[in-house]
Amino acid sequence: MEEPLDSWFKREILTHEGILMRFLARVWSRRDDLPDIRQEAYARVYEAAQKARPQAPKAFLFTTARHLMADRIRRERIVSIQAGGENEYLNVLVDEISPEQRVSANQELVRLARAFDRLSPNCREVIWLRRVKDLSQKEVAHRMGLAEKTIEKHLRQGARLLAHYMRTHVPPNRLHAPEVDARDDDEIEHGHRTHQPD
Amino acid sequence: MGTERTNQIDAAASAWLIRRDSGSWSAADQACLDAWLNASTLNRVAFLRLELAWEDAARLKALGAGVRGDRPPPPGHWNLSPFFFDPHASGSSHEDPQSGLTEPANAHLAFEESPLELSSPDLSPISENTSTPLETGSSEVENPRLGRRRLRFVAVATLLLVIGVGAYLKFAPNGELYATPIGGLASVPMADGSQVILNTDSQIRIALTDTERDVELGHGEAFFEVSKDAARPFVVRAGNKRVIAVGTKFSVRREGNGIEVVVTEGKVRVEDRAAAHGSRVDGSADVFLTPGSIARADEAGVLVQRKTLPEAEEQLSWRTGVLMFRDQSLGEAAAEFNRYNVRKIVIRDPTIAALKIEGNFRATNVEAFVRLLESGFSVRAETQADQIVLAAK
Repeated sequence: MEEPLDSWFKREILTHEGILMRFLARVWSRRDDLPDIRQEAYARVYEAAQKARPQAPKAFLFTTARHLMADRIRRERIVSIQAGGENEYLNVLVDEISPEQRVSANQELVRLARAFDRLSPNCREVIWLRRVKDLSQKEVAHRMGLAEKTIEKHLRQGARLLAHYMRTHVPPNRLHAPEVDARDDDEIEHGHRTHQPD
Repeated sequence: MGTERTNQIDAAASAWLIRRDSGSWSAADQACLDAWLNASTLNRVAFLRLELAWEDAARLKALGAGVRGDRPPPPGHWNLSPFFFDPHASGSSHEDPQSGLTEPANAHLAFEESPLELSSPDLSPISENTSTPLETGSSEVENPRLGRRRLRFVAVATLLLVIGVGAYLKFAPNGELYATPIGGLASVPMADGSQVILNTDSQIRIALTDTERDVELGHGEAFFEVSKDAARPFVVRAGNKRVIAVGTKFSVRREGNGIEVVVTEGKVRVEDRAAAHGSRVDGSADVFLTPGSIARADEAGVLVQRKTLPEAEEQLSWRTGVLMFRDQSLGEAAAEFNRYNVRKIVIRDPTIAALKIEGNFRATNVEAFVRLLESGFSVRAETQADQIVLAAK
């Protein structure tokens, strides 16, 4: 029996998010567009894989992302701001972008710990009690003296931030910079996207 | 605006994910989620992306091994094993209380084993890890708890009689042994309030200690309704696999060293003993299952299917003595019937093995099933003493 598409997609596509984002960031100057391009590329790959799963999933993902950016350039008539021009970058080979090898399971855990450490203290504790101690939402609410609604909010934020942090490389010395946590938490709470200076 | 939309989808996906995990999740809820997922591939990929992060978050448990109390360690204070390699770590600072302020990966190099990690290759952890005389054999007689066990024995025996489909149990030095014959079905109440339903031709050994509830599935299939006890994990061992729960409902079926796990409530973890003892010490062979999950684990690895709860429940219809087939081949249906009956179905013609079967059947009434086959399909049955041979008409 063939593996379900969803788990295939997680393993073969979603795990490349870190390197995909670095690739996109190098090619595309408008940071705000990056999550859009990423999600669109995911959707296209998913739809293609519904018909037939690509033999080389990672390369297929990057090719898809390249095409998407090329489409955008044509559609929006974006004039390149970067030296060399974006079109040139679009032809960069995936494996030249990063010699990153498949990370070991241990490194994955280290990455997870780092991502977890970047959450706000409350969010961190909520996730811990829920995911590690297996307490119910109600129990977590009781334990922390918070409303269940607040617990849910922390869980939702936590899931989103972990997804973001897990796949984003951060230099070690920024790991505990409090403003990183405060800004991202805050922005997600108010429904704004993460803004990064151009 | 696109970016706004991405953000909105992400917010909605996280709300779905957390609600699904919240414990009160009905089939109707699942239908709503499915509708939302099917509405747009952008929805689906956003959901999968968060779900992956959420599944990964459960792996914090591996890091939580050895962490005392309920609260997470301060940032950077992780108990990482000596096998951890962090490319960003600049050195190995031992036990530095300040490490949280500098570099989290310079964590303590001590590796503490915990109940979460498989610590002993010995197959009888009870006699090794606990000093309670309950399980040590010779001193059993003096143990006041034994009296309680005998009472339980009576209770169980009575219950089995009431069910009347036959099962036997006997005392073993390290736990109580329960077994059903082919075609049997038995309900076994456990002293901790948990309930076990044993399917046909199955055998379990139950050993309760103060620190663990240990069930060994010798062969066959069993459904567990586990009473909540966070201090005593409920562990089902089957060959080199372990299925671990705190308070939940799930079934485990064993075939050789392969297992199939169906979860209908709560959460369970599947561990592969072989992998856990290999070079990978991080427990990366662990898989976490949520309600509706059906997992098959064998030497090759673990395959998880996420189904709806009703579908998962259907898979467990044997608990009421019923086999449910949905678009299965006659070959598969026959194999399923053969688990419950001494008189085995043998399919002589490969052509009819592919016939599609649908419907609900009593597991032990293979004759009725065969009669129905004969009337509905071009199948001829020849009933012999120990088998029923099916051929094309």
